[in-house]
Amino acid sequence: MKKYHKITPEGIRDYLFEECLVHHHVEHRLEEVYRNRGFRQVVTPGLEFYDVFDPERSGIPSETMYKLTDRKGRLLVLRPDSTLPIARLTATRLQGQEKPLRLFYTQQVYRNHPGLSGHADEIMQSGVELLGAGGHRADLEILVTAIEALSACVPDFRIELGHAGFFRAIVASMPVSEEVLEDIRGYIETKNYPALDEILDSLPDSREAAALRQLPRLFGREEIFEQAESLDLPDGAKEPIRYLKKLYGMLSELRLSERIMVDLGLVQRNDYYTGIVLSAYVPQAGEAVLVGGRYDHLLELYGAPMQAIGFAANVDVLAGVMAAGNTETAIVPAQILVHGEDGFEIKALDYAARLTERGIICEFSVFEDREQAIQYAVAMGIPQVDFVSDGTVSIMLTKEENG
Amino acid sequence: MTPLKIALTKGRLEEKTVALLEKMGYDCSQVRNKGRRLILPVGDGEIEVVLAKAADVITYVQHGVCDLGVVGKDTIMESTGGFFEVLDLGFGKCRFAVAGPRDSGIFEGYSVKTVATKYPKVARAFFENRDMDVRIIKIEGSVELAPLLGLAEAIVDLVETGTTLRENGLEILEIICPISARLIVNSAVMKLRKDEVEALVSRMDQAIQQKEERLCLKQSG
Repeated sequence: MKKYHKITPEGIRDYLFEECLVHHHVEHRLEEVYRNRGFRQVVTPGLEFYDVFDPERSGIPSETMYKLTDRKGRLLVLRPDSTLPIARLTATRLQGQEKPLRLFYTQQVYRNHPGLSGHADEIMQSGVELLGAGGHRADLEILVTAIEALSACVPDFRIELGHAGFFRAIVASMPVSEEVLEDIRGYIETKNYPALDEILDSLPDSREAAALRQLPRLFGREEIFEQAESLDLPDGAKEPIRYLKKLYGMLSELRLSERIMVDLGLVQRNDYYTGIVLSAYVPQAGEAVLVGGRYDHLLELYGAPMQAIGFAANVDVLAGVMAAGNTETAIVPAQILVHGEDGFEIKALDYAARLTERGIICEFSVFEDREQAIQYAVAMGIPQVDFVSDGTVSIMLTKEENG
Repeated sequence: MTPLKIALTKGRLEEKTVALLEKMGYDCSQVRNKGRRLILPVGDGEIEVVLAKAADVITYVQHGVCDLGVVGKDTIMESTGGFFEVLDLGFGKCRFAVAGPRDSGIFEGYSVKTVATKYPKVARAFFENRDMDVRIIKIEGSVELAPLLGLAEAIVDLVETGTTLRENGLEILEIICPISARLIVNSAVMKLRKDEVEALVSRMDQAIQQKEERLCLKQSG
């Protein structure tokens, strides 16, 4: 029988040395930004009941979740998302707390991707949730936090801003079936102009249809607002534009608007977003490195209605960008190898502890004799060996010996 | 400025796309005389052409190592998405169809039918929409063999003229949808290099419209 004891499952991998270090850097920098803005860390379980992520409410397709059962045969999943568990815990354990709650997390999520596509099934996400707050102040807080978080990790990025309410308001009054609506939504999402035109041609002319035709093209910078305002829109669709324009104007005051793009065609599938939606891109990666938005109805599903907004950054992609051409994240060897002669092991451990207290990275030799200790130091590129007996003798290994 | 990398589906779509690029005024001599090279500069270095198999065009664009791609709608329908599909290039036209012997009875009775195809996702989606529970078998080569050898009652395949079907005693039982070549764009590139991408797409669109006008004139003349 074939055994799989020497390999990892597809989409799952080990992380070694430099990779761990650069991941740690990214996580540390993101968390520093979050902490400095008053967010507090939570960790939710890796395993949760399937019901927490019910596809009807989460928009996460059932087949992409890793499932298992507990002792009683109840269905569990490996956490596919962090916002839903945080909504669960806010609606239950944190109900009595002062609002708003500022929470952050750094934890893996698991998604079962189709085979051999090169996508990771285990993704480290780090993000924030601001729960129990609506309005432009809360939205600005999250946008600025996202910009600060990305600035701490990568030199160049763009954040794209949209509004979930825009598309919904336009289609609200259209007399079309759910299926047709889903097709229209899909074509706008993929900017499939030809198919969108075709399906709208088959519908009776209306101002809504005319506006939808323009939707995938409505992305860019401030000129988008003018283009959108020139459309004949139902009243409900005007408000999201006014609101986005206001946010954009405020971000310009902060000189952040050069980072921001607007896409009114951001219409994601069955997701829980209700207000602004954001996603961020960097030149080195083909996928979004940060996604988020406002989700004012999600907490109702757990019995504690409240407004909320948040985002999640993809630590793995950010680490990949940071690692490329960055020497700061190289692994350096220990500075000193401490070798205790027979009978002086405890003294040597003491000596090593004093060195580390002073911030010197040192390894404690586990070899029987000097010869092996020196050989090891040479192989590892450790420049100095300190032998501890009655006194301490240091041997410096030259560059040549370190080869 | 880094060139925009366009992945082209090798073969017929490649030929037609190169002709389109030439019509737009790009010098494609390097592609015309490519030898065995797979990455070739076009024009004055604004564009780089990458030659790949259809399904790989999508993979390279999904991962963002190519910015744009030219690929058939058939391959797009069989893929998992995750990119923008911005232009119907109007060439490489054919149809997805269910085909089989005239008396296949594929849409009749209650027994579970077997369908052979190179496009399991497309076939699955079509029959699911009909609430039909069919057994789908993936075939790599000439799918027409499957009903002839008795493996399947019908096939789902691309049909251009229908000659292969006719010569093997099969016929189209139902058209699923029309197919043509599409221009696809990586989603991050669409956002980060919007102006360049939009300029290229609109020039391409113009060149296609001109071609169609000339065709109309020829037909009416």
